[in-house]
Amino acid sequence: MTIEEFRREIRSLKEKGIYPSNKSYMLPSLWIAEKNFPAITKEIMRVISEELSVPLVEVEEAATFYAMYHTKPKGKYVIRVCTNLSCMLNGGEEILKEICNLLKVKPGETTPDGLFTVEEYECMGLCDGAPAVTVNEDRYLKVKPSDLPEILKKYGWKGENGKTSP
Amino acid sequence: MERLLLRNIDRENSNSIETYLSNGGYLSLRKALREMSPGDVIEEVKRSGLRGRGGAGFPTGMKWEFAAADIKEPKFFVCNADEGEPCTFKDRLIIEKDPHALIEGMLIGAYATGCRYGYIYLRGEYPVGRKILERAIGEAYDKGFLGENILGTEFSFDLYIHSGAGAYICGEETALINSLEGRRGEPRIKPPFPVNAGYLWKPTVVNNVETLANIPLIIERGGDWYASIGSPDCPGPKLYPVSGKVKRPGVYELPMGTPLSEIIYEHAGGIVGDRKLKAVFPGGASSSVLTSEEIDVPMDFPSLAKAGTMLGSGAVMVLDETDCIVRASLRLIKFFRHESCGKCTPCREGTDWLVRIVSRIEEGLGSEDDLDTILDISSVMENSFCGLGMAAHNPVVSSVRKFKDEFLKHIKLGRCPFRRS
Ligand SMILES: NC(=O)C1=CN([C@@H]2O[C@H](COP(=O)(O)OP(=O)(O)OC[C@H]3O[C@@H](n4cnc5c(N)ncnc54)[C@H](O)[C@@H]3O)[C@@H](O)[C@H]2O)C=CC1
Ligand SMILES: Cc1cc2nc3c(=O)[nH]c(=O)nc-3n(C[C@H](O)[C@H](O)[C@H](O)COP(=O)(O)O)c2cc1C
Ligand code: SF4
Ligand code: FES
Repeated sequence: MTIEEFRREIRSLKEKGIYPSNKSYMLPSLWIAEKNFPAITKEIMRVISEELSVPLVEVEEAATFYAMYHTKPKGKYVIRVCTNLSCMLNGGEEILKEICNLLKVKPGETTPDGLFTVEEYECMGLCDGAPAVTVNEDRYLKVKPSDLPEILKKYGWKGENGKTSP
Repeated sequence: MERLLLRNIDRENSNSIETYLSNGGYLSLRKALREMSPGDVIEEVKRSGLRGRGGAGFPTGMKWEFAAADIKEPKFFVCNADEGEPCTFKDRLIIEKDPHALIEGMLIGAYATGCRYGYIYLRGEYPVGRKILERAIGEAYDKGFLGENILGTEFSFDLYIHSGAGAYICGEETALINSLEGRRGEPRIKPPFPVNAGYLWKPTVVNNVETLANIPLIIERGGDWYASIGSPDCPGPKLYPVSGKVKRPGVYELPMGTPLSEIIYEHAGGIVGDRKLKAVFPGGASSSVLTSEEIDVPMDFPSLAKAGTMLGSGAVMVLDETDCIVRASLRLIKFFRHESCGKCTPCREGTDWLVRIVSRIEEGLGSEDDLDTILDISSVMENSFCGLGMAAHNPVVSSVRKFKDEFLKHIKLGRCPFRRS
């Protein structure tokens, strides 16, 4: 998406008349940015500020408050690994460790090819399937460490040596 | 018990409007609009004794009465679908499997209180639910249950979804309202309560998903019938999400007041590997822990309060004898530190202190004095600005009180006795 397209998206969002106050379009606008850009940059925030007539600092405040908005560049796929209580009791921490091992990153980091960002995450309400992992909007439940290579390959992971192993 | 809240979920395409209509769906809305005045609806809900399922247990009929009495316009009806309490996934079931029950409940509530616009504040982590709700709202518009002059009456109501973006505090209703207004999710002072000064400082009813799913039932079968289910002073069916070390984790619908032991051993199948139960958080991460001797308690608001803990979201989190209570309470207080909005000092600093002290103990570097410090910090945190900080210390303090030996063992051994390696 280009910045101009983004501007038009916000305008058409406002035309839907969902809220009686301009400022309420803040989170929906940030969501459009989150889904269409690698990061919510200053430039993007400035567009939101102009279109909603809200001071830039208030856009910044909102963009940095919420855990799901990325103001630093994220990978094409965001992998969220829950380690909250039920997932922890069922091995969530091992899953996080194994994913980090396979992708050679630490929690919070993005792989150098820009494909994956790995996040240690709080409860996602999937606790009956603990340990739970999500990749963008896909869910994986009762995940075992041995399931991970298959899951990652679906999203273009090339294997530990950089080539798809059989 | 006959399935009431979950009456639709096992049917094919349970989330489509056709399935919902074929099982009597939207007949309660019809009845409310055609045969009852707004005041009659509120009376019926008051008679039912329904108390809010978001965790605080406030009487729903009374909340609606306050909102109806306020004359400011327009009024807003908000469904709290933020479901952020760790190990709580009951609202997700309704959203994904029976979204029309929620929409119908909202419509009846909006009619009773005179609300013209509605928002479902849905947590950002439920994208699947968002798609299902969007479709369901579209279907309801197509059939004339939403929009102008619903079912040919004077009543009009528009409904939208507002996605949160990953902040537990936005489940607190005033933080939710700030977030809906496009701000950071920081709580506001109460009173004024949202029923008088909510979204854009207009009267706003905030109700939990499960609370609203009860409404069509109450209108269909009557408040007196409803009041006869479960505990006398807090009646109705209740959804209990059970997870952790049980054989069959899941959401169980049971009469309010079902004993905790029955939920764990009969419904959730008992403990994994038939091990011994060690501890249970009976109402989410903000509740105080119960030991294996304390699990005969009825799962309702007053009984759990009497037992020194709370029903909260009703999320039952089960630990077995091989789990370390220090580690469990550390994980929960880490969650609260992460989610503290930072507005007030007791919560912002208190959660950080508790994480540091419990980490130290867990690593075997703690001292006995640390246990007293935990209790001191906890009493300061009681003075926090909102419910997050007021409850965040509960899992830690109750663990220290009830499993003191285990904390002391960490301190004396200089390591965690449960670590395998
Ligand atoms: N479901 C979940 O994911 C979570 C639930 N909780 C629960 O939230 C609870 C605390 O919630 P709060 O909203 O802080 O409790 P609260 O007691 O302040 O309010 C409960 C409800 O009653 C209304 N209310 C209370 N007194 C009123 C009055 N005099 N006039 C008009 N309305 C009134 C409030 O507006 C609110 O809707 C805790 O008990 C906890 O269990 C906490 C975290 C997450
Ligand atoms: C920190 C905090 C988080 C909360 N999160 C939720 C939540 O996710 N869902 C919810 O329904 N209520 C939550 N609540 C309770 C709400 O503030 C409010 O009491 C509830 O939505 C009222 O609805 P009810 O009367 O139908 O229960 C939370 C409260 C606090 C203090
Ligand atoms: S108690 Fe915690 S979450 Fe609530 S206002 Fe204070 S800092 Fe924010
Ligand atoms: S504890 Fe992991 S999804 Fe809830």
